[in-house]
This record gives sequence, C-alpha cells and structure tokens, in this order.
Amino acid sequence: MQPIELIVNGERLSAAVDPRTTLADFLREAADARSVHLGCEHGVCGACTIVVDGRIARSCIALAVALDGAEIWTLEGLGADPVIAQLRASFHECHGLQCGYCTPGMLVTAREILRRHPAPSEAVVREALAGNICRCTGYAGIVAAVLHAAENLAEGEIPPL
Amino acid sequence: MAVATAPDRKGIGGSIRRIEDARLLSGRSTFIADIGRPGIWEVAFLRSPVAHANLVHLEKPAGAEDRVFFLADLGAILPIRADSQAPGFRRSDYPAIADGKVRFVGEPIAICLGRTRGEAEDLAQAVLVDYDELPAVADIAQSRNPDLPPIHPGWSENVFLESRVDVGDVDAARAAAALSLTRRYRMNRQAIVSLEGRGVVTYRDERTGELVVYSSTQFPHVIRTALAECLGMKERELRVVAPEVGGSFGVKNNLNPEELALAALTRRTGKALRWVEDRREHLIASAHAREHRYEVTVHADGEGRVLGLEATIEVDAGAYSVWPWTAPMEAGMAIGFLPGPYAITSYRATALTCASNKSPLGPYRGVGRPGACFAIERTMDEIAAALGLDPVEVRLRNYVRPDQFPWKSAGGKTYDIGDYGASARAARDMIRPERVAALRQEHAGSDWRIGIGYATYLEQTAHGTAEWVQRGLPVVFGYEQAEIHMTADGMLVMDVPIQNHGQGLETTLAQVAHDELGIDPAQVVVRHGDTSLAPYGMGTFASRSMVMSGGAVGRACEALAAKIRKIGAHLLQVTEENVRLKDGEVVAAGGASVPLAEIAMAAYLHPERLPDTVEPGLSVIASYRTARDTGAWSYGTHAVLVAVDTGTGLVEILDYAIAHDCGTIVNPMIVDGQMMGGLAQGIGTALYEEMPYSEDGQPLASTFMDYLVPGAPEVPRARIEHLSIPSPITRYGIKGMGEGGAIPPPAAICNAVNDALRPLGAAIDETPLTPDRIIRALMAPQAGEAGA
Repeated sequence: MQPIELIVNGERLSAAVDPRTTLADFLREAADARSVHLGCEHGVCGACTIVVDGRIARSCIALAVALDGAEIWTLEGLGADPVIAQLRASFHECHGLQCGYCTPGMLVTAREILRRHPAPSEAVVREALAGNICRCTGYAGIVAAVLHAAENLAEGEIPPL
Repeated sequence: MAVATAPDRKGIGGSIRRIEDARLLSGRSTFIADIGRPGIWEVAFLRSPVAHANLVHLEKPAGAEDRVFFLADLGAILPIRADSQAPGFRRSDYPAIADGKVRFVGEPIAICLGRTRGEAEDLAQAVLVDYDELPAVADIAQSRNPDLPPIHPGWSENVFLESRVDVGDVDAARAAAALSLTRRYRMNRQAIVSLEGRGVVTYRDERTGELVVYSSTQFPHVIRTALAECLGMKERELRVVAPEVGGSFGVKNNLNPEELALAALTRRTGKALRWVEDRREHLIASAHAREHRYEVTVHADGEGRVLGLEATIEVDAGAYSVWPWTAPMEAGMAIGFLPGPYAITSYRATALTCASNKSPLGPYRGVGRPGACFAIERTMDEIAAALGLDPVEVRLRNYVRPDQFPWKSAGGKTYDIGDYGASARAARDMIRPERVAALRQEHAGSDWRIGIGYATYLEQTAHGTAEWVQRGLPVVFGYEQAEIHMTADGMLVMDVPIQNHGQGLETTLAQVAHDELGIDPAQVVVRHGDTSLAPYGMGTFASRSMVMSGGAVGRACEALAAKIRKIGAHLLQVTEENVRLKDGEVVAAGGASVPLAEIAMAAYLHPERLPDTVEPGLSVIASYRTARDTGAWSYGTHAVLVAVDTGTGLVEILDYAIAHDCGTIVNPMIVDGQMMGGLAQGIGTALYEEMPYSEDGQPLASTFMDYLVPGAPEVPRARIEHLSIPSPITRYGIKGMGEGGAIPPPAAICNAVNDALRPLGAAIDETPLTPDRIIRALMAPQAGEAGA
C-alpha cells in the first residue's frame, strides 16, 4: 500500500492505496464519487471522464498512485459551476440522455468542448464527442444539448477547473 | 425532427421533459455497482479460455478453499432449462457454473471472492484446471458436420431445431413467374453492448427472511420465478430488485448463470456478494445476437409483383438455449417475419437453429427482424434492379393494402392496421431521389459513388397470450399489472412491474395518469423494478411497456378517478355526474372545486367526511391485456443516401429519412429519441459491429478497439416523420416502438451501397459492410469485368 494525498472536489483526501488501484476505482470507493461510471475500463468509452489538474481525463486508465498531489474534479463537485448547470438544463431540454450511464462523462466532456469552442458548429461538437460512447440516444439529443448550452451561456471565457 | 404537438400538453401527445432526468443528470443515482453492503465480497468468475473441453481436474489454490467455489459447492441447484414446446427441439441444460464441461469461451467455471475485484481475479488466475480439449463447432457449416462431437449429451447433430413453413402454392408461383431470383445474405454475429454491463448483488435480509438479489435486469418478477425454481425456494423467500439500469437492449432480458450462481452462493454461505461485469466479459460471455444466413428465392411477374417466396434460414444460436426465450426464437422470428409488409401468399421456408461452441444467442433490439428485413428488403431491390424498375414502385405494388387489414401473413402473424405505402412515399419525398443524378455528376471521376436505399419494416409490439403460446416459450407474457395509490397529501404513486432503462417510462406513464386523473405529471411518482413494491408483471422488452403498462395504469387510474369523483362530489355537495377531474382538482359544473389533496385527506385521515357508500383509502390494482393479443404493428420506411469511397471502402451516410407509424404517440420527444437510438444501433449492425470467432472458437473482439460501436461522428441526425394511425386493439391506440429504429438500417444502407456499386458490377450482401468487405466485393471477378 502506498500513501497518497490529493484534492478531490475541493477537499483534501489522504489514503493508502494498492499501487494497481485505478483512479476511477479509488474515487468511487474513497471519495464516494459514484458519478464516475465505468463502461469499458480501457479508456475508450469516456463514461469515467473527470478533470485532473484542469484537463479532462479518463479515470479508468490512470492509476491513483500516479496522481499523488493532483487536483481532481468529478461531477459531484461541479454543482455550483454555471457551465455544468447550463449543460444539465440543456440535456434535460434537448432529451440528451436516456439511461443516464454515459451522462456524467458527457457533461464533463461537454464543459471542456464549450471551454475550447465557445460557439461550436455541429461538426465540431460531434468530432469532440467522438471519445464518448452513448448506446441509447444516437447522439442527436446530446449534440443538440451542447449546441443549446453554447447558445444559452452567458458571454465570457469559461475557466478551466 | 418535425413534431406536431401542442407544446403545453402534459398528457398523451405532449413532449413534456422527462421526470427521471434530474437524478440521472446529478450522476448520483444508484446503478448496480453503486450498491454495497458491509463486508461485501467482490466476485470474479474464472471463465473458460477454450471453446469446448471436458474439465478433467479442478483444484482450488491452497489456503483459499473458502473463497473459491465450483458447482458442487453451491448446494442443490438446477441448471437453467429453456425448453421450446416445438416438436423436435433438442434440450440444452445451462448450468450456473460449468458442470464438468465447458461449451464456449467465457463460460463460468469457478466463483472467486476477494476484498477487491483485483484480489478476486488474482485468485481466479491461481485455480488449477485441466482441460481435455474437444474439437470446437465454430461455424454454421460445422454444426452439421457428423465428425464433430455433439455439444450436448444425447444429441445426434448440433442443431436445436429445424422448423418449416409451407403455405399457398410455391410451385405454381415458380411456374407462373416471369422472374425467379436466388440470393444469399449474411448478417454476422454481434455483441449487444449496453454501456453499463450486467451485474448482480446478493445478500440475506435476516429481518424479512429474504434472499435479496439486486440485478441489472429488465424483468425482476420473472427472474424471481426462475431463480425460485432453479434454487428450489419459495418466491416469497426471494426479493429481486433492478436498480437504475444503464441500458439493456435485450442483453439483460435473460436469466443469466451469474444471477443464479451468486444467489446460490449467498444462500449457501450467507456472504454478501457483488459481481460487476467488465467489458471483456460482456463482449465474450454476455449473450450475443444476430448471426443469420439466408438463401432466398423469389418468384415475381414481369411487373415485379411477388408470386412466391422460398427461403432457407440458418441461425447460429451458440452453446445454450437461453431462458425464457429458447434457442429457436431468433430463427423462428426470422421465418415468421420474412414475408414482411408484403402481401405474399405462397411461402415455403426452412429455419435451422444450429448450436455451436460460442456464447449463446439472446434477444437484442429487433430480435430476428433485422435479419429478416435485411433479406426481404435486399430481395425487393434485386427484383427492381432485374426488371429495371424503381425500388419504391416495386414495394408499392407488393405491400399489404390498407383495406386488407387485419392481414394474416404467410408467416403466421396477424397485422392489425397500417398504410405501408404512405410510409414509403413519405420517406421517398424526404430523401428526394431526384437529386441523386446531380450528386453523381458532381462526383464523376472521383472515387466516390452515390447510392440511395430504402427498407420498409414491421415491428410487432405488445404481443400477448396468443403470440407467446404460438412461440412455445416456458412463460406466456400475456398481460401487465399496475398498483396505484394516492398519498394522504394528494400525490399519485404508481408501482409497476415493468422496468425503465432509458425509455422514459416514468414520464410517459405519468402522462397517462394526467389524462385519466387531471393530475400534474410532476405530482406522479412511478416506482418500478422491485418485486417487493409492485404486483407481478412481465417487465420491459418486446416494445410492450407503453402499451401494456400504459394500459394497466390507465385502467387503474380510471377506477381511482371514479372514486375520487364520488368523494369530490360529496364534498362539493353536488351529484357525481356534475363533476370532472381537471388540473389537480375535482371541479363542479358551477365552477366550485376541491383539490385532490383535500380528497386524499378525507379518504385517509377524515373518513367522517366521506359519503356512506365509499370505503376509506385511495388505492387500486388493475390488470390489462390488449383487445386482440397478436400484437400492435408499428412499421415504417427508412431512406438513406450514401457515398461509397471505392478507394478505401468507406461508407459515408449523407442523409437519412424515416417515415413511421407507431399509432398514438404519448411523447413525441421520447419517440424521436427511441428512433434515433435504434437507428444508431442499426448503423452499428450495418457498418461496424461484428463478433468474429476463430476456427477453434476463440472470440476475436474483446475490447472496444476491435468491437466498434458508432460514435457521434458516425450517426447522422435523421429526419423523422410520424404517420400515427391508432391501433384498433390497444387502449389509447398506442403501438410499441422501442425496437423499430434498429430493424431496417442494415437493409436500407446495404441497398444504398449496392445502388452505388451496381454500375461497377459489384454486389455485397453481408453485414457489417466493412471497408474490407466492400473492397473485396469490388475486386470480385464480375466487378472487374463489368467495370472494364
């Protein structure tokens, strides 16, 4: 077991972890971050997407021990973020979810898309969502939701987390 | 997506936003992996690495005897036995854990426990197994090879069932035909891929005396019945709960060996257990789908009217018959649906359900019909091409006409109502075939070839007793129940045994309640997926829940409304005939009103306010079945415009249009969502998804790097038109529609690709239409000659 200390959703978290523990498993167990969904555990489906030191990352293919000292945000910690709030409203308005399993990863990824592209085209949104699999919606509602959020967000730069 | 609906409508017909969204958008709802118990053990299954072998020796790792379990350690337990009632069916017993023999790669051999999944997997690696390997049956052709060993004891050949249809006079059709064509089609094997895998949590509830089984399943009550039988327990000793379910599409609609294994082990040891399927397990060991082969001969007159149809259908159903569907379901659906929307009266076909050393075949969105639709719709295009006719025109000449309903099909089905031609004309109008010539001109001289394709589908939905009896299953899914009650403060709680795994049923059932009770959908709570909450019911599959559960909820609400009106009229001091339910109140003709909350308070807390003839309480249980139980038939036509890159073999979808009829639409937004989701899966079948096996029965796709699921760039937004002819046999005229979107895309896209390649003399009749297959089709000798 190896001691690590990181900041998860604004709170300092110290723990001893087995070196093979993935960041996703660690966050789910130690930080009760059940929004971190596991759809493939090999870095393809995007359901476990979180924010590590300001960049989105797949928590299923990172090891917790390698993230000692990192600052991490999962959807649990983003309740007060106005971009996530708008995205949630837009996903609801545009029927951007069905079973809800891919949804946390979609929201975190979508926030990053809007940060990089404040007024994205549909093609940009689709390309940027290529790493997030949804098996229910056929993506139409998700793409519409991201575009809807872009239109309805207040002007101004979106800060990284 | 053009949706004609009054935006303020909350009841049937309104695109209200979903009630279930908030908890899912929070990310905090409870899926199977989120359920824990103090002291819970994580489960890893040791799974067979070989396709076919006798297990000659099994040995637990030293010191881990209490954490590794074989079949003999599970106590009295019956195998899963999914017997078809069809004469000639060969039985397969599917054990929870291998019983001395393994029959496919991925079959469970041992249950291993650890404090983490990693520890449990370590243990699985340390179990010693001696395999005496047997030759594997890895292909349909091999299932009839007498030199290969029988997969199950006592079998004379590796075939579950052979069935036949012979109606009308095919020989006369052949003699009279101006055109007879024979074509071969293949729809290859797929995984199903819910984004959340399967999973099971089991523990003992000492207070209630129940063995509690949480399972990511589509039908908890039916699972309880099956588990009770296999475990020799009383149903009351079992509670089955489906928590939030992260997609299903059929793969969570079987009694799985893992459910049985965990339940048996908890019963035996008292340990709380959790198994969460990983992606590799899902791809190799969850039920698979499709794998159909067809040889179709069609006889037509000079105008393209079909006079007779002949077919040989072969399906590779894998190693076991899955409960409750049975192995022959897939081929049985294919043979029953092959005549499709066409008025074909002479039909002769054989359907062979082969067994192999592969993962068992189970239901997947569309069940049997994507293959049957592929075969008949490709054939309609072949008739059109051979006669130089427009493919839509050939279809219009052959559809069952609106004045011919109810239509008894040559496949033995009874279609309720429809206007198939209207869907084809609408789809053609949307896709605008007149622009193809200009597009071809534009791309002349490049590698890009433009093609247009159509496919019409039928989707039998909400079929009841007659249909399931005809299919010979162990369970007859003939009805649905609902139990509703109003709380003392006037909210409506509906307990239903169906299961919501993305379909938005909590919203649409609340819309039904709104129409019956005038209650705001926001005041309605739908609870599902728990045998301890809801009365017995069949679950969510076969596009049945909106019709069946909607019908049950409607009937229950109707009865509750009568009681509420009685109480309301009494409180308002008017006669019952002079009140109605509106906007959460009972309203008298003169305008005086009393809110539901006040009526509920009287019903529960102030019986002195009730009329003498009314019993206290506001609860109703109701059952529903359709007026005729042969199914409500949705249908539609898909039209697609593609570009095929003859250099790389890539297919690009340029435009996609859908015209469909699912009867009365409860929520157009949700219907469009279901249609788009089905389309995405249909595109997967058509272009990307395949579960190939090696000659010795090794699955060759075990990650998302080699099993390709469509992403956002691959799925265009389709334009959808709703025709909406109400079903005459269901309450509200609703027809189910959960599967239709997935049925015709392989046919429509393959027709479009063939339309694009036809000038080059190339043809392709196998899904998925991978670049590799398209290039090989282009290199086939006849393509070279025609192209030269």
